[in-house]
Amino acid sequence: MREKIQELLEGAFPQAEAVKVIDRTGGGDHFEVIVHDAAFNDLSRIEQHKLIYAALDEPWKQGNIHELRINTKGTA
Amino acid sequence: MTYSDKIQELLQSSDVALFMKGTPDAIMCGNSERALGALRRAGAPITAVDVLVDAEIREDLSAISGWPTIPQVFVKGELVGGADIVEELERSGELEATLLSKLGDQYWEQRGEKTVAL
Repeated sequence: MREKIQELLEGAFPQAEAVKVIDRTGGGDHFEVIVHDAAFNDLSRIEQHKLIYAALDEPWKQGNIHELRINTKGTA
Repeated sequence: MTYSDKIQELLQSSDVALFMKGTPDAIMCGNSERALGALRRAGAPITAVDVLVDAEIREDLSAISGWPTIPQVFVKGELVGGADIVEELERSGELEATLLSKLGDQYWEQRGEKTVAL
């Protein structure tokens, strides 16, 4: 699942300076994602996190992600 | 009244609304605990709602907020964020600044928490 999330985020944020996915427990369902992208520069934190949720909609709806921590940052 | 109506009503009437898993006395999820802890440290007047009472509460809430996960923190009816954002805002000092600007500079006199059922 970690690889799948990495792939989805890289697809959604092709220009990102950094995309990192951490399996927090080693159990394959608690993740922290770190995305640094200029697309976030003028967005509120709420809007930034909504973009992450949108990118991960498929595994999210399938119930494959039990917990998601989100760490987003612009590039400015 | 539907849950959706009750949620809207609560958002209108609460200074700080926290939708969480469990209650402040019996927290059922680590992320709900993180959000609650940040609000407590900031001295927020918290109105908590346990979404585990009925799955429909969570569905209606997410439809209103556009936010898929629990917890969800609202100040004066406006979504502030989930656990990650609220902790980030606490670290940067923005949480207190938001409470000050939205609730007034004596807000901590109302600090405390109550749990309400929808």
